Amino acid sequence: MSEPAASQNNQSIETELYKKREKIYAREVHGIFAALRLLAMAALLGIYYGLPWIRWDDHQAILFDLPARKFHIFGLTFWPQDFFYLSMLLIIAAIALFMFTALAGRLWCGYACPQTVWTEIYMWIERKIEGGAKAQKKRDQGPRNAAYFGVKIAKHAAWLLFSLWTGFTFVGYFSPIQDLWTSFMTWTLGPWETFWIFFYGFATYGNAGFMREQVCIYMCPYARFQSAMFDHDTLVISYDEKRGNPRGSRRRGTPSADVGLGDCIDCGLCVQVCPVGIDIRDGLQYQCIGCAACVDVCDDVMDKMGYPRGLVKYTTENSLQGKRTKIVRPRILVYIAILTFVSSALVYGLLTRIPLEVDIIRDRNVLYTETDEGMVQNVYNLKLINMASEAQRYKLSVSGLEGLQVLGKTQDIELESGAVKDLPLRVQIDPIVLKSPSSKIMFHIESQTSPEISADESARFLGPASR
Amino acid sequence: MSTLPATQSDKNQLPVVQQIISVMWPSFLTASLATIIFFTVFDPTELGIIGGFPELTRMGGYTIGFFCFWLLTSISCALTCYFRRPTNKPINPNNSKPS
Repeated sequence: MSEPAASQNNQSIETELYKKREKIYAREVHGIFAALRLLAMAALLGIYYGLPWIRWDDHQAILFDLPARKFHIFGLTFWPQDFFYLSMLLIIAAIALFMFTALAGRLWCGYACPQTVWTEIYMWIERKIEGGAKAQKKRDQGPRNAAYFGVKIAKHAAWLLFSLWTGFTFVGYFSPIQDLWTSFMTWTLGPWETFWIFFYGFATYGNAGFMREQVCIYMCPYARFQSAMFDHDTLVISYDEKRGNPRGSRRRGTPSADVGLGDCIDCGLCVQVCPVGIDIRDGLQYQCIGCAACVDVCDDVMDKMGYPRGLVKYTTENSLQGKRTKIVRPRILVYIAILTFVSSALVYGLLTRIPLEVDIIRDRNVLYTETDEGMVQNVYNLKLINMASEAQRYKLSVSGLEGLQVLGKTQDIELESGAVKDLPLRVQIDPIVLKSPSSKIMFHIESQTSPEISADESARFLGPASR
Repeated sequence: MSTLPATQSDKNQLPVVQQIISVMWPSFLTASLATIIFFTVFDPTELGIIGGFPELTRMGGYTIGFFCFWLLTSISCALTCYFRRPTNKPINPNNSKPS
């Protein structure tokens, strides 16, 4: 929403925010944007319900395997140590959302937000069972008879089943879905899985079945702060007041000039189709999720009247005021710059990522020991994690001081993909070489199977004070 | 929105359901974030062993962790709501005009 509209609406917003909610019976729409929305909805729901079933190599293609603490994203495996990459991915997603908001307004809300998508599918189920908006309203105001309860039970059963499937799929992203399915069918689900399936299912049922537009109005943080990304060149849905007013009904096919009215025939269809229950003709409103239902329905009316389309349309404030709309503007360039920078950093990071994690922990009990041969010995514990997708054989060497000797396995250290190994190591040196009680030494671990995988890790070597 | 009705003397202006949502929902969001960050660093099974629950599964640990965070964040949200209410009640209730 733009600044002036926001201040104008302040009073009404405050009262509306806290009024008791009345159910909105939105009329079904057909048209270009409705078709686009349907397409986006089908694609997104298809991705959501289908993706966990896709296999990649010998594992689920997308699996945020919480029980095993690793994320599989197609060929890549991420560990908790790789949190950095995921947070970068989130930053990219956030900046991209900001940019699309500045460009195209609430495109996300209208077409891609899970809240919208699931509300749409739940409304579709509702329509299939309960009939259109008018039939629903009539039933709700009518008697509570057997037919009423029959229809309501059928609707809620369908909603609940769909919710359960949604919850199951959700858990399937975090716990291998095929095992989950087997346990689901044999009724041997673990308590936590069961809990989350029902928790998420219930949240879906509540949000898409009952809360609907209230989630956008009261609960969505994005809906509240997106106005900060808006400017006069942002795509919004708006009613063309100059063309539409004064409103009034007239016979079909009558030119507006003949009756001294604007093009709006005041049929009220734009209000009837609105899923958030506003009148787009009142100007830009914070409740508007930009679903374009009013655009579709008004274009239809304009066609019937023989008037040009676009009385309610996607436009910008500048364009409404007769100015030119600029797509490239400083704000967009800044977003593009940040996006390019973070994306290239992520790609660079992923390409140069070394799938080997080495942690060296000194034995904390003893600083150093002197052996019978007069050598100074330090004990370390090496923790190796093979984050590569294949098994590896590693070799190890120590440098930093002259004549360092490693006792323990330094060759052919075998590690399965994803395995963790603790490797106790004793490092000895002739005390003559020691210049100070604490010297820096370097461990070099290299894969014998693929030499490009190597890691260096420093540690302190402690000894007696110089003699 | 400069003044929210919750700060005004009529504290019942906000329906109960929305009062509950305004506490539970932001705390849910922050608890989710806290859970993600916390369990990125700490493995629940290791925490279980330290804490004396060696049979704790990871899924169980995440779940308990999430709800503990949610409890804490909802307490802080509830306290914020509570402290936003004005402390000084008018001495004579008839003097205050209903807003």
